Amino acid sequence: MSKINSAVREIHRIDEIALKDTWLVGLHPLIKVLVTIIYIVFTVSFSQFQLEKLLLMILYPAILFILGEVSFREGIKRLRIILPLVCLIGIFNPIFDKREVFIFSDFVVTSGMISMITLMIKGVLCVLASYLLIATTRIEKICYGLRQIHMPAVLVTQILLTYRYLSLLLSEAGKTWQAYSLRAPGQKGVHVKAWGSLLGGLLLRSMDRASALYESMTLRGYQGEFHYSNTITMRWKDVVYLIIWCFIFLVIKYI
Amino acid sequence: MSHIRIDLEQVSFGYEKEQTILKKISFSVKEHETVGLIGANGAGKSTLLKLIVGLYLNFSGSIRVEDIPVEKRTLSKIRERIGYVFQDSESQLFMPTVYEDVAFAPRNYGLSEEEVDRRVKEALEAVQIMHLKDKPIYKMSGGEKKLASIATILSMTPDIILMDEPTIALDPKNRRNLIQILNQFDHLKIIASHDLDMVLDTCSRVILLADGQIIADGKTEDILTNQKLLEENSLELPLRYQFT
Repeated sequence: MSKINSAVREIHRIDEIALKDTWLVGLHPLIKVLVTIIYIVFTVSFSQFQLEKLLLMILYPAILFILGEVSFREGIKRLRIILPLVCLIGIFNPIFDKREVFIFSDFVVTSGMISMITLMIKGVLCVLASYLLIATTRIEKICYGLRQIHMPAVLVTQILLTYRYLSLLLSEAGKTWQAYSLRAPGQKGVHVKAWGSLLGGLLLRSMDRASALYESMTLRGYQGEFHYSNTITMRWKDVVYLIIWCFIFLVIKYI
Repeated sequence: MSHIRIDLEQVSFGYEKEQTILKKISFSVKEHETVGLIGANGAGKSTLLKLIVGLYLNFSGSIRVEDIPVEKRTLSKIRERIGYVFQDSESQLFMPTVYEDVAFAPRNYGLSEEEVDRRVKEALEAVQIMHLKDKPIYKMSGGEKKLASIATILSMTPDIILMDEPTIALDPKNRRNLIQILNQFDHLKIIASHDLDMVLDTCSRVILLADGQIIADGKTEDILTNQKLLEENSLELPLRYQFT
């Protein structure tokens, strides 16, 4: 499945962006995690009729795309699967909430329509903020940031290992698919009869590789918690970055 | 008297009760010794290495590493002393960059970041891949990955190194480079391999396994020149002896 291989490449590409030497990448991970959480909280907190204020919140992802040197086009392309799902949130609001708000050249704008648009924008902005965090911060650093805000070690390790095992599972799936397709020329997709054995094989192979990886970790002193580099120091620019964004969010929210 | 040694006494093991993979294995390896573990596929070489490092504990008999018995309660002590290089480097490398991967073990042992940095640099220099320290793992070649996986265990400063098929899937140049690097290490080493020419170049002693038993244990030249013994155990003379 070339789609699987391209998914693995996508993960690697996102990892590469996070390794770039940009101003944003260089910020303290705790600050970036905090700003993202604060942004999401502020975005979600807007009421359904504060559409104009919500639109101002686009400022944050817009600036981050520039500071992080992350391609907007590629970002949207990467999120093309999740964004329509996010847009589905509130799709039934216009049906259930038909209260008239105003009429725009014979078109009745209902409260349900506005709340649907608000929910969609909120969803898209939250997903974009999370994507920008991942694209500008390596997963280990995000996990380090999460540990700094006292997120339970078990949860953080789960996030880290899920991310690592994901590419492992995908690469195994890619190999399995290649082996299948080379012996089933001209066939579109996987024949229904082969699905069971293919998935079973994939599961066993993935478990095999995952346990080898886990063995390698335990042989190098891993005892259930990742130890992150403690050389990441908080600097003035990190604090200023946090203060500026908090100030901007407060201004948008209350003024 | 040095304590850097491995002692196995009457070790038997099977993944399932009715199937015995290793049968009454006994041998000792002393400090600075490099032992080649050879045998056909399924002879039990990899299993034996995994037993020494305590990945399987349901064996009978006794395994002692530096006079410490391999048991559940001693695993962390033992694993601090042994570096295990997996056959498949992909299983060993899971951090985003070489530096992070090599730093994984020292950080787990709670060392200061300065000490971690020193050890990582020393390990990378030892295998001559300092220039790759910031390279993402998935962008590395097979040979580079093998050297990186060796560096990941060197940063633990182990007394003992166990290697499972270190030259597998390496091209001749990388293989030669790896042999040179291995020969510079002064550790107690056990190398499980089918590559008998590499064993000849790196090991002073060879243990031949077949069907989970030790068939021969002796000087490398003595065993690897014994065509009859090797062929009886599904092996062949090393290439350099085949053409002389």
